[in-house]
Amino acid sequence: MANLKPAMVADQSLEAITPPSRAQRLGQFLQALLRSPGAKVGAVILLLLFAVAIFAPAIAPFEPSQMNVGPALSPPSAEHWFGTDNFGRDLFSRVVYGSRLTLMIGLVAVGISMTVGVVVGLVAGYTEGWLGNILMRAMDVLFSFTETLIALATVAVLGPSLRNAVIAVGISSIPYYARITYGAVLVEKNKEYFRAAKTLGARHGRLIFRHLFPNILSPIIVVATVGVSVAVLSASALSFLGLGAQPPSPEWGAILAAGRDYFRRAPWITTFPGLAIAVSVLGFNLLGDGLRAALDPQQRQS
Amino acid sequence: MPPLLSVENLSTHFVTKAATVKAVNQVSFQVNPGETVGIVGESGSGKSITMLSVMGLVPSPPGQIVSGQVYFEGQDLLKLPLEQLRQIRGNQMAMIFQDPLSSLNPVLRIGKQLVEAIRRHTNLSSADAKAHAIHLLQRVHIPNAAQRINAYPHQFSGGMRQRVMIAMGLACNPKLLIADEPTTALDVTIQAQIVELIKELRADLGMAVVWITHDLSLLAGLADRILVMYAGQIVEQAPLLDLYANPRHPYTLGLLQSIPRLDAAQQTRLRPIAGLPPNLANYPQGCPFAPRCQYAIDRCTTEDPTLEAISPEHQVACWVKPERP
Amino acid sequence: MTRYFFKRLLSGIFTIWITTIAVTLLIHLVPGDPVQIMYAQSQSTTPEQLEQIRRNLGLDRPIYEQYIMYMGRILQGDFGTTIRGNQPVLDLLLVRLPNTLLLTTASLVVTIVVGVTAGFFAAYKRDTWIDSTLMTAAILGISVPSFWLGLMLMYIFSMQLGWLPVSGTSLRNLILPAITLGLANAASVSRLTRSSMIDVLTQDYMRTARAKGLKEGTVLSRHALRNGLVNVVNMLGLQFTYMMGGAIVVENVFAWNGIGRLAIQSIFQRDYPTIQGFILIFATVVVVVSMVLDLLYVWIDPRITYK
Repeated sequence: MANLKPAMVADQSLEAITPPSRAQRLGQFLQALLRSPGAKVGAVILLLLFAVAIFAPAIAPFEPSQMNVGPALSPPSAEHWFGTDNFGRDLFSRVVYGSRLTLMIGLVAVGISMTVGVVVGLVAGYTEGWLGNILMRAMDVLFSFTETLIALATVAVLGPSLRNAVIAVGISSIPYYARITYGAVLVEKNKEYFRAAKTLGARHGRLIFRHLFPNILSPIIVVATVGVSVAVLSASALSFLGLGAQPPSPEWGAILAAGRDYFRRAPWITTFPGLAIAVSVLGFNLLGDGLRAALDPQQRQS
Repeated sequence: MPPLLSVENLSTHFVTKAATVKAVNQVSFQVNPGETVGIVGESGSGKSITMLSVMGLVPSPPGQIVSGQVYFEGQDLLKLPLEQLRQIRGNQMAMIFQDPLSSLNPVLRIGKQLVEAIRRHTNLSSADAKAHAIHLLQRVHIPNAAQRINAYPHQFSGGMRQRVMIAMGLACNPKLLIADEPTTALDVTIQAQIVELIKELRADLGMAVVWITHDLSLLAGLADRILVMYAGQIVEQAPLLDLYANPRHPYTLGLLQSIPRLDAAQQTRLRPIAGLPPNLANYPQGCPFAPRCQYAIDRCTTEDPTLEAISPEHQVACWVKPERP
Repeated sequence: MTRYFFKRLLSGIFTIWITTIAVTLLIHLVPGDPVQIMYAQSQSTTPEQLEQIRRNLGLDRPIYEQYIMYMGRILQGDFGTTIRGNQPVLDLLLVRLPNTLLLTTASLVVTIVVGVTAGFFAAYKRDTWIDSTLMTAAILGISVPSFWLGLMLMYIFSMQLGWLPVSGTSLRNLILPAITLGLANAASVSRLTRSSMIDVLTQDYMRTARAKGLKEGTVLSRHALRNGLVNVVNMLGLQFTYMMGGAIVVENVFAWNGIGRLAIQSIFQRDYPTIQGFILIFATVVVVVSMVLDLLYVWIDPRITYK
């Protein structure tokens, strides 16, 4: 969070020279973040999403996989808010439980790509030389394969399942995180503070974890927030294609795929899970945009 | 003879949600045909915004001309329909800017950029317009003009680019050329060449020039008359020699004392002006220069002085009007 | 220019070469016995037959030999045959590839027309209600899953209004998939165009153009759009790549008979020769098209040409 300069640029008084405390900086950051209406909406959506996932058993009126809780393929009604599917399962309950899977998928997939990608980018950027070169060339090649192809190839190897889809989506975004990290590391390495620390004989571990890492964190946080939305979209697409979560899983993409057979008679089966995906993804995108704006010192001055 | 340009009580503000920046406040001045007027001031003093307001080029939003009249040959430009103003711009009144690299379109050949200015205001065929463009480039002493016309801006040096900009300004023989710090981005030797070029063209074409600069010394031998701007106001205006010999505003005095002089006695020190100009988003009460002024009296902090004539051609906005020590 | 071209060409060839290695290794990364998995779905294959298939595929030899064999066959245009039906993989792919290219090209047109126009107006009317409406639409657009958008469009225009066919592979059938795939990418293109146009609109040369007295239309089309388009062309390569990925999903929504639909079928059937062929063709198309688009960019921007 090195970019968090005190927001007093217009005021040229000397008070601005005293650095603000960590708590003050966090406060300023949150203020800057919540100043944008988009970020506010995004934060509300995500809070709701997490609440629904945590309290799913209390919110859902029925067991998500229990059949014949109502007549099959009945449209939305007071009893079944989102209607029922061909097995007479309550769609609302299934969508509520599906939020758990969606959050898990998004967070785990981003966890995989971020961890591996950041390590690769850090190592490549820190060492440069031949090792860095090879690593980044490899990332370039993977990048030009596109995320979709990497994910498909991974599922083709491992076989269709929710777990494999999450791994596939996680692997597919590694090159992206590696590139962002690599770029950020190169910028930081050329700054005075880093050269000074190096000249003073700091060890590699200290240089990386104490100096580099905290300073490349903010771009990575932004990318990871938007990354969750990308991961949720990719994983649900895999499930929709039948390569991810399998029935009777209440994963939203899988519900949607199963509902396609009854699309003409019961469009609500495809409508509501899709809407749920869109709203969740929107939440992460809005928050990501807000974070980007709040962390970008240029935008904050205006 | 009626003035070519007459600006009366011009105020231009920048209005955003956060604040209103009063960039130009109640500025009045005149430019006579063939005359060269220098406008001097620090960055942010409103000198560029004043002339951009005259051209109708203030970015809006957030810029707003809140009051005043700008008469060009007796016509109020601020009341003209936009299309009529456009027919005057680049035709009878042209402007060249500080950074010639960013002021030229990087993806268009300079010939195209010259020709579009010529054809906008004349009925020349494209072949004739091209011939005229080559003639203009020769006029500003660009060698191999016939070939260079097909080059892109990045293929020129900084000085040559500014010559291209000047050629573009001269496209339709304007009566008024506004030069907004045209030499600031250039090396010192190139600066002198550009100044000489403008002097030469001014004499040939008989056009009036408004030269905006932060460097008072640059105007020696170039300007007939000088306006000194501070915090969006004109604080002093006088003929060049009068101003150099008898500055009466403490700010002008400060500017003159911060210029190194070869003929000065050994002991004379350069004296920078202490402090910073006021924040124009929060316009101070009283004279805006008062906080930095060594001559300030009580009245200066409560009442803003207006321009007052101390001789027919010399006006000062100061309660004290100190003589040079 | 020539140097850049050869550098770009070399890196493209390098990527495709790496793909051939990856594709050879792919089958060995499969957990368990790939031959058994491949033929698990077809009945009555005896252990002897499986052994024969293994030998035919060369899976009993060292990997480097397999690679040399595979490369030799590919260079002769032999991508192997499908597990079921023994059809030549390359023929199967080449029959479907034009459909995929038709879809992605049509979508690219939708993306550029909608995305660039929206981004341009948002930038020109920056901080007005037009800007905020367009940008709200854009962030909604990037959040909506393409398969769901496709199904909803299909429900409205095919099932309710009956204007367009539900699925199939003809020119009339192209409309909905192209709009689906195009809109999904138009959203992100409009955001990129907006920020690049805002950058252009605040440049000094825009002020110079206005100072010449040019009409606003000329200023925008000749000076702003031209420079903004340089950036748009710069991102076309990446957009096409996304299109190719997105096409796989959209083809499956609309039963559009392209290579994406074939790929998903072959993954279900564990048809590894077809999967391998698909990955190679996909990577080659992406590499070639982005190379061409990159060269187009260099050609359009004079600053790069002469460097």
